[in-house]
Amino acid sequence: MESKLKVQNLVISFRTASGKLQAVRDVSFDLYKGETLAIVGESGSGKSVTSRAIMGILANNAIVEGGKILYGDKDLLKISEEEFHRLRGDKIAMVFQDPLSSLNPIMRVGKQLTEAMILKNKASRRESKANMKEMFDNLEKYMAAVGEGNSIHADIEKFKKFEEKHCELESAYQNAKICAQEVASLSQNLMLRIQKNSWQGVSADVKELSRAAKGACSRFVICKEEAEVRKAADELPGTYQIGRKEKEFKKVFELLTIMRNAAQDALKFEEPNMFALGYYLTFVDGSIPEKPVSEINRMASEKMNADFLDGFLKKIEKAVRYSAGQADQGRKDALAIFEEKLPLFKEKLLGGESGKTEAEVPKDLIKKETDAMKAAVLKGIDPLEVELDSIMHTFGTSMDYALDLFFTAGPRNAAEKKRYETQLAKYNKMKESGKELAWEVVPASYIDVDAAREGVTDIIAEMIAHLKAKLAQNEQADFGARTAEIVEYLKQCAAESAYKVSRQVAKEKAIKLMEGVGIDEPRRRFYQYPFEFSGGMRQRVVIAIALTADPDVLICDEPTTALDVTIQAQILELINNLKKERNLSVIFITHDLGVVANMADRVAVMYAGKIVETGTAEDIFYRPAHPYTWALLSSVPDLDTKDKLESIPGTPPNMIYPPVGDAFADRNKYALEIDFEKQPPMFQISETHYAATWLLHPNAPKLEVPAIIQARIEKMRKNGKGDTDGQE
Amino acid sequence: MGKNENEVILKVDHLCMYFGKGNYVKKAVNDVSFDIKKGEVFGLVGESGCGKTTTGRTIIRLYDATSGSVYFKGQRIVAGTKSYKDEIKKIRAEIKKLNQNQPSGYAEEIKKKEARIEELRKEIKSAISDHKKAGGSKLATNIQMIYQDPVASLDPRMTVREIIAEGLVIQGIKDKKLINEKVYEILETVGLVREHADRYPHEFSGGQRQRIGIARSIIMQPEMIIADEPISALDVSIRAQVINLLNDLRNTMGLTIMFIAHDLSVVKYFSDRIGVMYFGNLVELATSDELFAYPLHPYTKSLLSAIPLPDPQAEKGRKRVRYNPLEDHEFSEEEPTLREVSEGHFVRCTQKEFEKYQEIRNAK
Repeated sequence: MESKLKVQNLVISFRTASGKLQAVRDVSFDLYKGETLAIVGESGSGKSVTSRAIMGILANNAIVEGGKILYGDKDLLKISEEEFHRLRGDKIAMVFQDPLSSLNPIMRVGKQLTEAMILKNKASRRESKANMKEMFDNLEKYMAAVGEGNSIHADIEKFKKFEEKHCELESAYQNAKICAQEVASLSQNLMLRIQKNSWQGVSADVKELSRAAKGACSRFVICKEEAEVRKAADELPGTYQIGRKEKEFKKVFELLTIMRNAAQDALKFEEPNMFALGYYLTFVDGSIPEKPVSEINRMASEKMNADFLDGFLKKIEKAVRYSAGQADQGRKDALAIFEEKLPLFKEKLLGGESGKTEAEVPKDLIKKETDAMKAAVLKGIDPLEVELDSIMHTFGTSMDYALDLFFTAGPRNAAEKKRYETQLAKYNKMKESGKELAWEVVPASYIDVDAAREGVTDIIAEMIAHLKAKLAQNEQADFGARTAEIVEYLKQCAAESAYKVSRQVAKEKAIKLMEGVGIDEPRRRFYQYPFEFSGGMRQRVVIAIALTADPDVLICDEPTTALDVTIQAQILELINNLKKERNLSVIFITHDLGVVANMADRVAVMYAGKIVETGTAEDIFYRPAHPYTWALLSSVPDLDTKDKLESIPGTPPNMIYPPVGDAFADRNKYALEIDFEKQPPMFQISETHYAATWLLHPNAPKLEVPAIIQARIEKMRKNGKGDTDGQE
Repeated sequence: MGKNENEVILKVDHLCMYFGKGNYVKKAVNDVSFDIKKGEVFGLVGESGCGKTTTGRTIIRLYDATSGSVYFKGQRIVAGTKSYKDEIKKIRAEIKKLNQNQPSGYAEEIKKKEARIEELRKEIKSAISDHKKAGGSKLATNIQMIYQDPVASLDPRMTVREIIAEGLVIQGIKDKKLINEKVYEILETVGLVREHADRYPHEFSGGQRQRIGIARSIIMQPEMIIADEPISALDVSIRAQVINLLNDLRNTMGLTIMFIAHDLSVVKYFSDRIGVMYFGNLVELATSDELFAYPLHPYTKSLLSAIPLPDPQAEKGRKRVRYNPLEDHEFSEEEPTLREVSEGHFVRCTQKEFEKYQEIRNAK
């Protein structure tokens, strides 16, 4: 699976008056494309801090002590605020716990919803255009290197030309389809409301319906009944007015039925292959032939493949092969350089095991060597790769950061020492004079020079491993698949660059989303200000706003905690649907285990800044291994619980002084002696399931899962089986 | 509980609470009636904005009820007057109309109407006097409230001792020693220690703050507590602690609790009887076992189908029942009212639906 976001060894602390609070301690996880990762844990376990680090909105007193967050070709911990502006909301969006802080109080809700859509559309159009141009330029460059520059140039021109047509057709089709969906649901709804004498907003919806019906009339949507539907749409408002006066709705119902049936039929039609059709219309025949859709699809794609696409693909494949070969050569060279430089860095430049301080290290030499390494890495990057190689792309910045930390460690430590000593002296003096002091001296925090040195060599070592893996992987590369990938990418870029969201379309989409998140009367609510909404309603608006921007990665920080179950279920359903539709990756932070069971593909349980157990949802719920997971599972009542609830005693540890051993040991009735002395490593239970507890050590006493959970799992197994049987 | 099992401690009678003016009136609570018996936990559930919290707050008179009354131990503590005033206005208009036409022909009728106005005026007078009386009496301290947000409901500038003792001080107790003793005792009851008394709220975790909120509400030795989503702002592990605490208090102090929440599995675990609210109306009322076993109202069904369960397989195969009042009911002919389908099981329905529900219930 393609990994969208990689968090590696993240360590975050907070500077506080009483010392350094370790909020996140060495957290690593991957987020794959199209999956939901749920992070579960108590407040203070570091789940929100992790997500905020991904969004780049950590508080001022946060110190990122180490780790990486890789997204595309960037390390999110090391990019500037300016670059983050481009990612936030657009690529990575977040739904916050507190809806008040995420809405602009002096802007109408509708404006806030559509604004994001329109801006995002504008930006993505520009970006896609640039991306497409870059890809074409690269293709041309490599083809020129193989000696076929001219022929691919002609093809690219051709592609651009019919792609334009394709986009035009596609967006017209999609708009009409949206209209048809609206007609189908709205006409049904209107009939019901008229029958049940519920008149609020009916006349506005009637007008809306007639507008939508006209919009749905197009070649591939409502086509056969077009004349009929248009007539009905024209007549509907007038007929409704008369009907309302005379209290006779027979005629209105007739019109509504015509529209509804036509729209429902239209939604069942086969989807036309607009890509091929675009080609057909541009180069073969200017008008759409009067044939069934499947026939048109077949004809157009045959024609396109024979005339153009097969040849184009072959040419691209040639370019891909060539560029891959070049990149591989670059990687081999880079690998050689790196392997040569690693011992050099380790021993000579950075002062060997220890002893040499940073002042004695030849800075210039290191800089020169680093620059050479950076250049070598850049040569190893294949520009025709659609999926960006984040480790190679971020090598330069990681290296710069690590070196910077190492070089500045000395002066910074000296300054810190000085500050601490002066403060301490002042404090002692005041104390001696008999004053009662309400403040304390902030303890000194030094940068570990050895760790900083290791940081530099680690990056080089990691790069070597990565290059080796990459070279091995490329020996069996599937160039056909990569070619197809490039064409898909070009198609997508073209579609994005041509897809324009007008104000009207944005409004329609916003209203649909508002309905989706359970806001009643969205057409009226669209023009209201945030203060006119209740807390739950605001939360729904915030969720809708996060979804309008169509992000790559969606982070939900307890989005439904404040909502009641029906709305919660509706919103979870909506997020799940969007996830499927857009192949969205979701990080879902919550402490409601029911919600986790609903949403998650994989679950990470966090406690005191660490991931203590991770696995698929089934692993966690049916085969929990960590005592903390047991405690969480047994502290929620289910519908049959009658006994006293098992609560977890005590509170989470103070993370200014993190415990030496397992952080959960104090509250854990299954704690072993070693739990108080040494932190448990991650034990692997199955391919997907890991847990950090000494209980899994081969020498540990065998423990049964607590009876209460055992019973619950038994019951779930039984129910679950019943469910799956029912479905089959 | 014992022999007083069926003693009604709180009676809510046709309570209405409307917000807004003119054309846009929001009926937050619309004609809600229920009884709470001594020593029981009465759960109130429903979606956000359906009027659960407003009901709770109207009972302790944080809002002035539009109409309807609330009786606590037989004494009227809330009395709304708007419905009477509205009726008077309506009758006056009618009289005016009659006078314009032919006053002589309708003399009898006008007299009747004027008598009715007089009656209504008396009602208003008695309501106002009841309202005043209840405000001054000690009865009010017998109902206490626990708020949803443990952070916002504690004054950050007061120590825990001041927060907890505030009620006592307002009641006129001046003996510092007595106050301290009581505060310490209550702190220990809710699972905190004496040393906590001199700290400020920000020094506590969420669960501890909620305990302080509970301590504040029980120091007056109330007979009834209205707990407005006391656990929804808390962590899972702490929720269990707070629920266990409330359960213990209920057993030791014989408290009656009105429990407002939207976490249905907790409500099921904690409550004896449950009322389901939808858009200001009480739509179903039954004992908790009955309600979960035989939900009758379509909204209740939809609500129960939406409870998330900690079981991935069940969650993936879950079918959510949607509730659309327009589709599910036929209210164009008859306004629905609360009817008793089986013993202790009330559903808001029309006559037709009532028969249908009865059939379904009896079949099971």
